[in-house]
Amino acid sequence: MTRRLGLAAGLLVAAVTLALPAVLDDSALAVYILLGLAAMVTVGVSLLMGYAGQVSLGQGAFYAIGAYTAALLALNGAPPLLGLVAAPVAAALSALLIGVPLLRLRGHHLAFATLAMQLILLSLAGQLDFTGGDIGLQGIPQFSVGAFEASSASVYAYLTWAGLALVMLITHNVITSRPGRALRALATSEIAAASAGIPVGRYKLVVFALSATFAGLAGGIYCFYTGYVAPGSFPVLISIQYIVMAVVGGLGTIWGAVAGAAAITLLVQGLDRLASLPGMPSYAPSVLSYAVYALVLIVVVLFMPHGLVPAVSRRLSRRRAEVPYR
Amino acid sequence: MIDVQDLVVSYGTATALEHVTLTVGKGEMVALLGPNGAGKSTLANTLAGLIRPASGTVRVGGRLALIPEGRQLFPDLTVADNLALGGWRSGQRDPSPVYELLPRLAELASRRAGVLSGGEQQMVAFGRAMMSRPDALVVDELSLGLAPAVTADLAAHLAELNRTQGLTVLLIEQNARLAFELCRRAYVLESGRVVTGGDSAELAGDPRVASAYLGGAIT
Amino acid sequence: MSAFLTYLLNGLAVGSAIALIASGLVVIHRVTGVVNFAQGTFAVVAGLCTSSLLGLGVPHGVSEVAAVLAAALAGLLTGLAAVGRPGTSPLSSLIVTLGVGVLAYAVEIVLWGDQPRSAPGLAGSVTLAGARIQTQHLLVIGVAAAAFALLALFFGRTYLGKALTACASNPYAARVVGIDVRRMGLLAFALGGLLGGIAGVLVTPLRPISFDTDVTLIVNGFAAAVFGALTRPVVTLAGALLLGVAETMAAGYGYGAHQLEVALGLMLVVMIVQAGRRPAISQESA
Repeated sequence: MTRRLGLAAGLLVAAVTLALPAVLDDSALAVYILLGLAAMVTVGVSLLMGYAGQVSLGQGAFYAIGAYTAALLALNGAPPLLGLVAAPVAAALSALLIGVPLLRLRGHHLAFATLAMQLILLSLAGQLDFTGGDIGLQGIPQFSVGAFEASSASVYAYLTWAGLALVMLITHNVITSRPGRALRALATSEIAAASAGIPVGRYKLVVFALSATFAGLAGGIYCFYTGYVAPGSFPVLISIQYIVMAVVGGLGTIWGAVAGAAAITLLVQGLDRLASLPGMPSYAPSVLSYAVYALVLIVVVLFMPHGLVPAVSRRLSRRRAEVPYR
Repeated sequence: MIDVQDLVVSYGTATALEHVTLTVGKGEMVALLGPNGAGKSTLANTLAGLIRPASGTVRVGGRLALIPEGRQLFPDLTVADNLALGGWRSGQRDPSPVYELLPRLAELASRRAGVLSGGEQQMVAFGRAMMSRPDALVVDELSLGLAPAVTADLAAHLAELNRTQGLTVLLIEQNARLAFELCRRAYVLESGRVVTGGDSAELAGDPRVASAYLGGAIT
Repeated sequence: MSAFLTYLLNGLAVGSAIALIASGLVVIHRVTGVVNFAQGTFAVVAGLCTSSLLGLGVPHGVSEVAAVLAAALAGLLTGLAAVGRPGTSPLSSLIVTLGVGVLAYAVEIVLWGDQPRSAPGLAGSVTLAGARIQTQHLLVIGVAAAAFALLALFFGRTYLGKALTACASNPYAARVVGIDVRRMGLLAFALGGLLGGIAGVLVTPLRPISFDTDVTLIVNGFAAAVFGALTRPVVTLAGALLLGVAETMAAGYGYGAHQLEVALGLMLVVMIVQAGRRPAISQESA
C-alpha cells in the first residue's frame, strides 16, 4: 500500500520535474536550476553528516573546485562535455587527497579544518593568475555536446535535474548496499563500528569523496550556466547554507535533502522578492536571508533534531494511522 | 528521614526502578544490597535529586549528601578544593571541621585528587559529602575496589558519625558481610524491585540471601 | 634589526588580540565542551558598539566598557541558545553557535550597515630600542597580559572559578555537590563574550571591523586555542603570540598576501599532529 503510494508520488514528482522547465520563465528557471544544484550538493552533505557523522563547513570548496576545473578546461579549448566530466572527478580526487590527513580529525576539529580548507582555496583562487584572481574567469562557453549547444535556460534545467537524479540514484544504491548499512553504525559510534570490523577510515574517506563528487558536478554545471566563476561565488556562507538545507531535510535522507534544499531556496527567494519591493532598505535582501538561515538552523537543531521533513511526515502518518512506532 | 514510596524511574523506554518502596528512619543506618545492574545507583542518584522519577514520591527530611559510586572527585583540583566545593550547598567553605574528623585529609590537602590512591580518594569523597553538613548520607559502594583494612577504617568513621551525631545513613553495598555488620536493617534490590527486606540478622539467615550475597561475596 | 623588532612587537600585539579571542573559546570549551563558533562575533559586536558610542560623543572608557558589557550579554544569549536546552550534544551546540553567528550578521547589518567601521584609539607611538611601536599596540599587549593574569587568579583562587573548573573536570560530580552545571555553562559563555569583547574594543582602532570580520577572528582564535588542545590557557597564549608574530613577519617581509594561509596551514598541521597522538576514545567522549 505505502509502496504503491510511494511509487505514484515518485512518478508525479518526476512528471512535474520534467514539465516545469517548459512552463517556467527565465527568472523562475534560474531559481529552479539553483535549487537543483543546491539539492545535488545537499544530498552529499546529508550523506556525510547522517552516515559518516561528520560536519563539513567547507563543502563550498568542492563546488568551487568543480566550477573552476570545468571553466579552465572549457576556456582552454577542451570540449565542454570533458569539462563537465572532469569537474566531479577533480573534486573527488581533491577530497581523497585532502581527506587522508583531514579525516583523522573529528567533530569540531573537522568542522574547522574543512572551513580552513575552503578559506585557503578561496584565498589562493583570488591571488593566482591562472584562476583570474579576484575577478575570476569570464566568458566561459555554453555547454555543448557535438553540434548541440545549450543555448536556453531550460536545457540547463534538464541537465541539472538529470544530474540530481543521477546523484540520488547513486546515493540510494550506496545507502541500501551492505557497506551502507554498516556506515549507519559509523554515525553513532566510530569505536563500536570499528570493533564490529567495519573499515571505518576507508568508508569515511569514500563518503567524503562521494559528497565532494556531487558538489563538483554541481559546480561544473553552475559554471556553464552562469558563464563565469569568481572567488566571490563561493563564500563560506554557501557551505553553511548546505548544512541548513541538510539539517532541515533530516540528515541521511535523500528526499529530505532535496526537500530541504527546495524549502530553503524557495523561502530565501520569496523573501528576496519581498525585500526588493519599493520602500525596503537596500540591505533588506541580505539581512532577511541571513536571518532565515540562522533561525531555521537554530530552531531545527534544537527542536527537531531529526529534521523538519521527517518531523512533519511522522506527524502526518501518525495522524493517518493512529499507530505510533512504539 | 528518607521515605521512598512506589518509585518508578525509567531511561527512555527501559525501566530502571519498578515500584520501589523503602524508608530509613532518623538516625538509622540501613543497607541496600543487590547485584550489578539492579538499579542501586539509579536509586542513589534519584535520592540525590539528579534523576527525575517517572512516578512515585521521594521525601527527604533534611539535607542529603551522596558519596557516588567510583568516588567521582574533581581530579584536576586539590583535596582542599574538592572539600571546599563539597560545601557548595551549605556555604561552608572552610574544611577544618572535616580535617578534625579525618585528620589524614589535612596532610593531603594540597595534593591533586587525581593522583591519590583509591582509599584516599574514597576518604576525600567522604569528607566532601560531610562538607555539606548533611542530615542523611547515601553511600554508594563504599568498599568497591578497596583493601579490607581501608574499608574497615572508613566504616568505623561512618558508624561513629551515626552514633555521635545521629547521622542517617543509607549504605548501598555489594559486600553483604560489611552491610550486615554495620546496619541493623537491610533491603535487597534485584532487577529494579525490592525483593525482600528486614532485620539484618534474619536476612543473613535467609538461605536465598545467604547463597546470593554471603556465599561468594568478596570482602 | 629595528625593522625586525618593530615586526616582533606588532606581532605580539596582534597575537595578544588573538589570545583574548582564543581564551574565550577555551573558557567556554572547558566548562561546556562546546566550541563556540560565535566567538568572533562577540569581538565584532563590541568593536561596532564602541565605534557608535564614541561617534555619539560618549567619552573614552565609558564607551569601551559599555561595548565589552554588550559583548558579554551577547555571550550570555549565545549560551542560552547553545546550552540552555538540556540534552543538546556538543556538536549540535556548535551548529547552534554557527547559527547565532549568522543571525548576528542580520542584526549587525541593520544596526551598523555593511561597511567597515573604525574607532579612535590611543594616538601616537613610542620608540623602544630604535623600534617604533604604536601606543595602541602597547595597550593591546598590556590589557591582554592583565586579562590573562586576572583569568588565572579567577580560576585558581576564587570559589566561583574553582566551581567552573569543577564543571569542566567532572560534570557529574559537580551536580552531586549541587553545582548548577547549566548555569555555570551560561556564566562561561558570558565570560567568553567579555573576553571577545575586550579583543574587539582593542582591535577596532587598529583595523576597521565589519560584520563579517568574525570569520578571520574565529579562525585565528581557534588556531591558537588548538595549540592548547582547547583546554590549556597558557599554551593557548603561547600559540596566539606565535601566530601573531608569524603573520606579522610574513606581512612585513613581503608575504602579506599569504597571512591567512600561514595561520590556517599552521592550525591544520597542529590539529593533525595532535589527532595522531590522541586515542579515538578520549575524543569521542569529549
